[in-house]
Amino acid sequence: MKSLDFVFEIRTEEIPAPALMPARLELARRLNEALADEGLAPESSESFATPRRLAVVLRGLPERQADRSTEVLGPPAANAFDSNGKPTKAAQGFAKAQKVDVAELVVVDSPRGKTVAARRMIPGREAADVLGEVVPRVVEELSFPKTMRWGVGDRSFVRPVRGVLAVLGGRVVSMEVLGVAAGDRTVGHRVLSDSEIRVTGPDDYLSGLRGAFVEPDGEARRMLILDRARRLAAEVGGQIEAHADLASTLSDLVEWPGLVRGSFAPEFLELPEEITVTAMRTHQKYVPVRGPGGLLPHFVAVMDNSEDRKGFIAKGSEWVLNARLADARFFFEADVQQRLEARVPALEHLTFQDRLGDYRQKTRRLEDLSEEIARLVGRADLVEAVRSAAFLSKADLTTLVVKEFTDLQGIMGGIYARRERHPDAVWKAIYDQYRPASGSDDPPREVSGAILSLADRFDSLCSLFRIGLVPTGSKDPYALRRAALGAVTIAIARNWRTDWRPIARKALSLLPADLPGPGPEQTLEELGRFFAERLRAVLERRGHSYDEISAVLNVGIWDFADAADRARALSDARRHMDFRALILAFKRIRNIVGSDTPGAPDPKLYRENAERVLAADFLQAKQAIAAFVGERLYREAMETIASIAPSLDRFFVDVLVNCPEEDLKRNRLALLASIQKEFTSLADFSEIVVEK
Amino acid sequence: MLTLQRLIADLTAFWEGEGCLIEQPYDLPVGAGTMHPATFLRVLGPEPWRCAYVQPSRRPADGRYGENPMRLGRHMQLQVVLKPSPADVQQMYLRSLERLGVVLAEHDVRFEEDNWESPTLGAWGVGWQVVMDGMEITQFTYFQQAGGIDLSPVTAEITYGLERIAMFLSKAASVFDVQWNDALTYGQVRRRDEVEMSKYDFEVADVELAAWMLERHEKEARRCLDAGLVLPAYEATLVCSHQFNILDARGAVSATDRVGLVRRIRDLACACARAYVSGKEGSRFPLSEPEPAIY
Repeated sequence: MKSLDFVFEIRTEEIPAPALMPARLELARRLNEALADEGLAPESSESFATPRRLAVVLRGLPERQADRSTEVLGPPAANAFDSNGKPTKAAQGFAKAQKVDVAELVVVDSPRGKTVAARRMIPGREAADVLGEVVPRVVEELSFPKTMRWGVGDRSFVRPVRGVLAVLGGRVVSMEVLGVAAGDRTVGHRVLSDSEIRVTGPDDYLSGLRGAFVEPDGEARRMLILDRARRLAAEVGGQIEAHADLASTLSDLVEWPGLVRGSFAPEFLELPEEITVTAMRTHQKYVPVRGPGGLLPHFVAVMDNSEDRKGFIAKGSEWVLNARLADARFFFEADVQQRLEARVPALEHLTFQDRLGDYRQKTRRLEDLSEEIARLVGRADLVEAVRSAAFLSKADLTTLVVKEFTDLQGIMGGIYARRERHPDAVWKAIYDQYRPASGSDDPPREVSGAILSLADRFDSLCSLFRIGLVPTGSKDPYALRRAALGAVTIAIARNWRTDWRPIARKALSLLPADLPGPGPEQTLEELGRFFAERLRAVLERRGHSYDEISAVLNVGIWDFADAADRARALSDARRHMDFRALILAFKRIRNIVGSDTPGAPDPKLYRENAERVLAADFLQAKQAIAAFVGERLYREAMETIASIAPSLDRFFVDVLVNCPEEDLKRNRLALLASIQKEFTSLADFSEIVVEK
Repeated sequence: MLTLQRLIADLTAFWEGEGCLIEQPYDLPVGAGTMHPATFLRVLGPEPWRCAYVQPSRRPADGRYGENPMRLGRHMQLQVVLKPSPADVQQMYLRSLERLGVVLAEHDVRFEEDNWESPTLGAWGVGWQVVMDGMEITQFTYFQQAGGIDLSPVTAEITYGLERIAMFLSKAASVFDVQWNDALTYGQVRRRDEVEMSKYDFEVADVELAAWMLERHEKEARRCLDAGLVLPAYEATLVCSHQFNILDARGAVSATDRVGLVRRIRDLACACARAYVSGKEGSRFPLSEPEPAIY
């Protein structure tokens, strides 16, 4: 069959950068799925996106669906024809309902016996007709974080739709998408191009856009930005800082990226670098330039333009950045007039949460909680440092710089503490208290920072859970998921093996006793489930499979580092040994024993050889495992557990557990239960999925 | 030479040419051009509306005693509302920049996501800040809701920060260096006002008076609503909003109070919006008629 190429483009006003890539991928995926369902899978599919358009190019799309025949069963053959073989009323009625000639009816074998059937050929539909239905539906069903209405207000999409192009095999596909009729024209760059582009297929679509100053491929824009930024930085003897997020955001803000280099007044290099970098990167989306000796007074800016003909863009960018830095310097100089310590009382006017009080109260709790954690992880020597860090930790919330540059909370506190000559353990703890700030961020550098960060996270989690402010769905206003994820990450990175419940209990005990909401014990239970989900996410990111994680978490979650170790041991052990037999055996044990706890087995009641062998192997393995676990050699312990599989197998073949003799039966159950109890202290093997 | 008053005259003339009715600034203190009844009330209901006006906007907490080159306790906005939003509204906006002498191909103009929300007005919208060569010069919003009412048709609101644009186009180092006309600078005209108003708003304003005025005007708004008087009720609401801003600048609003006060003002704004719509329905939305009746 002939195949055709299809080009679809929907043009909108500027789509927010973060929504762009998800929208492009979702559009391509859904369109391909919908077409596959219709029997119209293309040979290849490409997708494109700029702030002002989403596009899909499908090559080798069948011109039409294949024909298919259907068979509809009617009345039994016996009722359909009279004794003369003439069709009865029943047959005529059926033929009429099926819109076939009564003579075309056939008799087939069906589960109901000989039955009359109508066969019909359904001709495949033209691809253009199918596209005309499928494409508008797919576009309207795209999901965005936020949609809007415009004009008369009867449609909703991420931004107003301003044009639709749909061309199949050189011809317009008739369709209306969100109220806009499709055509065969597109437009180029908003400022650099002013004529329409007529499109007949993928090649002239893509080349037409590029000729009209639109690079449809986001990755090409990103590479161009990085490459040109490196060159511009090198020209002034510097390098750009690798910052993947910024390059992606920038490439999703422009259709035709051009780059300019600008400079700021060198006097601003005296400001803490964090402020200068944040002003450039976060506020202005400029790329900082770094030389061998530190930050250089240059930056690289991306523009949606091919060139800066008159130098206005570089000059404008410099002017804005200098104004921002002047503002920042004013704030910084005002801030350092007052020591952090002197700011602490003002935290009484800063609410942490209505019912939980102010930030002064929070820092008091953090002092006690930090001390508790320091002692728990065996760093009593740090008690004084972490208490001072906790005392000062939130003082920077009252500074002008943090009010203006909210991303710098903690970091500014650390900088001010360093200027005030607090010890390293103190200022670095303050500086790093919000780390890891994201999934890709590192945990705090110093032990004191890890302790303060954990204290802050446990305090926020315990206090907000205590008054019932548990995140639900997409609502997590206090970023508690990130708080818990960070706590798990820090504990694992520091390899602090400890049950964290005492810290959670301590955090709860520091709160007023008369708070409304669930009591401390219920709070702790909810927190346990919440932490389990975060721990699951961390373990998934470390490459463990779903069933391995379930096996490990079923046994205990509150020692995060230990759970991570057990998961690693289980993955390793499975790679080296066949766990299949063991896991099937454990599933069997779980089914037989259920939730009974029949006590210890009595050796005198063993009757069968297989029983004695299993009991002896178990005893030997138990001692070896205890020794391995004592030294946290979990993989060795798990391999030892696995080594018992053959004797378990033999037991199940030779021994009848549910035998008529009640005492023997109880004893056999007791043996299996002790094995289950002993061997599942590291992982619940019955959770592991094995292929049958 | 580019002057502030030339800028205002050019932009006003441009939007007049696009069919806008040229309104005048509202004669009560407001925090933004959005609060002018020509926006807040006119975006409600089905009637088409195109309007532009300058609105001096008071933000007591932004005052800096005339010492900060970019921050003002009172600045000016040029507000444009287009209802329903036209299909080529972005191009219209870009043409307005060209009217100011900006050759677009010599600059970098981008629409970057920035959604707008006014908790005290029960209003929110979706849109962008327009960034030219790195400087935010305009807020561009499709109004989705005002006074708690879903809007249909949707109004496009374009808010030019006049001082910022003047500063940027003349590359002045400080807002006070901007030429107001050929003879006088912004500083010569306004700096003293900024110093005095900052001192008043931050140090002198009588907190009790502000609290009392807020209280009394809340009652007055309710009384007017009961009497079926929408505009007087809305004016009293505007007074509440401004007094709230003064209390805020004086540091007299705790975080807990804030939530409650904002809600009380929003309740008034929403009640005004509902009363306006039902009043309009009573008069069958006169501006929708082929021959507009006098309203």
